Amino acid sequence: MADTATPVLELRGITKRFPGVVANDAVDFDLRKGEVHALLGENGAGKSTLMNILYGLYRHDEGEILLHGKPLDIDSPHEAIAAGIGMVHQHFMLIPVMTVAENIVLASEPTRGNVLLDMSAAEQRVRELAERFKFRVDPRARVEDITVGQQQRVEILKALYRNADILILDEPTAVLTPQEAIELFEILKELVAHGMSVIFISHKLNEVLEIADRITVLRRGKTVATVPREGATEADLARMMVGRDVLLRVEKQPASTGETLLHVEGLRVVDDRGLEAVRDVSLEVRAGEIVAIAGVDGNGQTELIDALTGLRRPAEGRITVGGREMTHASAHQFLEEGVGHIPEDRHRRGLVLEFSLAENLVLHDYAKRPYATRGFMSPRRVLDKARRLLEQFDVRGGTPSTPASALSGGNQQKVVIAREVDRDPRVLIAAQPTRGLDVGAIEFVHRRLVEQRDAGKAVLLISLELDEVLSLADRILVIYEGRIVGEFGPSVTEEELGIAMTGGRREAVA
Amino acid sequence: MNAFAGTVDRYAQTPRRVAWAGIVVGTLAFWLALPPVQARAPWVPIVVGLLAVACGIWALTRDVGRLAWGAVAVGLIGIGLGVLATRSSTGHLGSVVTWGSLIGSTLVWATPLAYAAVGGMVNERSGVVNIGLEGMMLAGAFFGCLGADKFGSWEMGLLIAAAGGAGFALLFAFFAIHLRADQIVGGTAINFLALGVTGYFFIQVYGQNGTPGDLPRIPNVNIGGLHEHTFFGDAIGHLNIMIWASFVLLIVAHVGLFHTPLGLRLRAVGEHPRAAETVGISVYATRYVAVTISGILAALGGAYLSIGFVGSFGENMTAGRGFIALAAVIFGNWRPFGAYAAAILFGASTALSFRLAVYSDAASVLFQALPYVLTLIAVAGVIGRSIPPAAVGRPYTKQ
Ligand SMILES: Nc1ncnc2c1ncn2[C@@H]1O[C@H](COP(=O)(O)OP(=O)(O)OP(=O)(O)O)[C@@H](O)[C@H]1O
Ligand SMILES: [Mg+2]
Repeated sequence: MADTATPVLELRGITKRFPGVVANDAVDFDLRKGEVHALLGENGAGKSTLMNILYGLYRHDEGEILLHGKPLDIDSPHEAIAAGIGMVHQHFMLIPVMTVAENIVLASEPTRGNVLLDMSAAEQRVRELAERFKFRVDPRARVEDITVGQQQRVEILKALYRNADILILDEPTAVLTPQEAIELFEILKELVAHGMSVIFISHKLNEVLEIADRITVLRRGKTVATVPREGATEADLARMMVGRDVLLRVEKQPASTGETLLHVEGLRVVDDRGLEAVRDVSLEVRAGEIVAIAGVDGNGQTELIDALTGLRRPAEGRITVGGREMTHASAHQFLEEGVGHIPEDRHRRGLVLEFSLAENLVLHDYAKRPYATRGFMSPRRVLDKARRLLEQFDVRGGTPSTPASALSGGNQQKVVIAREVDRDPRVLIAAQPTRGLDVGAIEFVHRRLVEQRDAGKAVLLISLELDEVLSLADRILVIYEGRIVGEFGPSVTEEELGIAMTGGRREAVA
Repeated sequence: MNAFAGTVDRYAQTPRRVAWAGIVVGTLAFWLALPPVQARAPWVPIVVGLLAVACGIWALTRDVGRLAWGAVAVGLIGIGLGVLATRSSTGHLGSVVTWGSLIGSTLVWATPLAYAAVGGMVNERSGVVNIGLEGMMLAGAFFGCLGADKFGSWEMGLLIAAAGGAGFALLFAFFAIHLRADQIVGGTAINFLALGVTGYFFIQVYGQNGTPGDLPRIPNVNIGGLHEHTFFGDAIGHLNIMIWASFVLLIVAHVGLFHTPLGLRLRAVGEHPRAAETVGISVYATRYVAVTISGILAALGGAYLSIGFVGSFGENMTAGRGFIALAAVIFGNWRPFGAYAAAILFGASTALSFRLAVYSDAASVLFQALPYVLTLIAVAGVIGRSIPPAAVGRPYTKQ
């Protein structure tokens, strides 16, 4: 459906340098009217940077931007918006306490008599827009009360409301459930049918092959190639991104399990609203196995993880780690007992964004030998360790003294994983460990998890990705509305899991 | 989803209303023992107060929480104060509780706070904490005198005061916004600077004699037909123009903040500056404007104090009112009406504390601490929860 004649947008020789990194190195990119153009690349390849330049958030050092063949100077988001460019950021740019309509009209509000805000007109326009592109949102709902999928729709509406005809989506599916991702693709098809052009960033190769017309791959800041979807395969794309062949599935030996390290019995956990989120969950994870908890987001996974790491008190039930009673233990005691935790939200729980990478890497053990003696930290030992871990876990784009906030999303995740795995825990709780990672990094993390298993650790994996669950787990538990509703071996099909995940109703899941 | 929430709301309404009723009844327990009703029998406040406590307890069993505890507390306090009042002599009671003049002097004491509090609310809404409110108020008090004296008119006094406040505000804004200095440290520096600058020029210009006695004053509005020693006469018959103007300010602030595009943008900047920037709002410009507005308003509050109410300037004459205004912002939950109400409450307790001196000087001084205790209680979240703007106090770095 793409009109191949003139590009609506062209980037020529864009270069952007950050201190110590060339994030974009003479990148060429063009977008045709009515196409979905996917941008692929490893973590830190420079995808977000390129899009931020296009949206006026960063200023490029070299190169030019052409809109409909005419050079365009984009100095701030203001100009980008005026040029018809809309962007849905990797981390959403919504104001939680305001309503959907307020968020959408912000900075170009309808008024009465040029002075007063006209909220009913705003709501009306939001409703019309949503109807035209066939999605459901309540303009009066507060953003903090709606689901992540709906928030994303609000972000898209923000762009549509400003009459964008170019839409940039930076990793839009990283936070979506498979069902929500399908809905998003429907919306994108609708937009393209209305003549919009879309730039779509994703690490999920199957999605890219499903939705994109053309695919551009970046590697270490440079354009590798632009290829049409027809004829491209996942393996090709992975090779172009990483520069070598990537195993899309981990190889592993059958598990040889030992004693039970994590034991949970009759666990009930109440969420922030006082509702029972985890209902009567019992499970055990033995040394040398990976147990996965599969489920659609919001079925009690977060509260279960919180309880298993001492971040939330269970209302009822028992937790033991290596035979020791831990039901009412603190987060600190869980750490001491050898429970490692890769949290699902790296910004809220995994990292202190203002701290350096070295500080983040010793966040649990800074007060212990060898990093501190007699209450004083030893900067040299901390730095040594940081250097070693950054190297070993292939964290790119930073030195031990770089603040965590300057890393790309995927590299931030690697820092968290490095810290937790390096502590050599007996039990490792990995929640969404590969969210936002590129294929190469996913392979790397999966290998680490299997290594942990083979070293006799008990690994509990909580994941929304069925691929990940199927390729890693020795046993799979399905959680639905806070209950474990089924247990499967590793040879179960996606279909069967999908059915169990939606409470046994016969619905396709992904 | 929505229908469900609606039903829950409706069921939750009744116990909340009962709790509110308890609070009103608890207040009544005290009020009945005061003029003009002046019940002399201790059982009156006790019975009425217990009724309030009962309302509170009933609401507690219905999960209303904070509000219900509020009703219980107000009931008990109502009993205590009510019984005290029944045992006090009617003469004393009569001189302390003259409702009309009590309202009048409450407004007088509340007004400087109200200006500064509305100003403080504006800058906090934009994400800047302005501890320097006190200094800007003091600057307004001094430059108001200076302007009124040198130009011979109170209007010029207000203008110069506003300019002085804006000057200090811009200085603060430059450090806090552009240089991303710590806002608390920056604000504290402004306070000391204002203290020094006003003190220095005060001595330089006026020396030992102080400000002249014939300083042009901001006039009162005398409403014909409302006579002294009548309720309305004492309450609103002779209020200063600045007091009436503060009512207008309140309305303008409310409409501006919640019903105009600029208000929406201001709030967006205070909640999530980066999100505001991605839709093309300039975070720095917004914060500059907000801080300047707050400086001007604080200065007007200070000018009212010097050339409206007292009629002279004295060193450090604001004496911490800027900080109380800051407390009023928090107490008022970052809303104009809330901040104004808090200013009124603080004003009332000041007005009362002066009159309580007929009982005992010590009690009167102790009573002046009441606003601070109330603030602590409010901040601890007893009266609803105060939720500050999410980005308040955090400097913003442009990419
Ligand atoms: N504000 C910044 N300061 C310094 N370096 C930065 C900054 N933003 C990005 N970088 C660096 O630029 C490089 C490109 O980062 P970018 O965020 O564009 O990667 P990405 O392709 O979006 O990766 P991901 O898939 O992990 O999101 C990285 O090495 C990153 O560390
Ligand atoms: Mg990115």
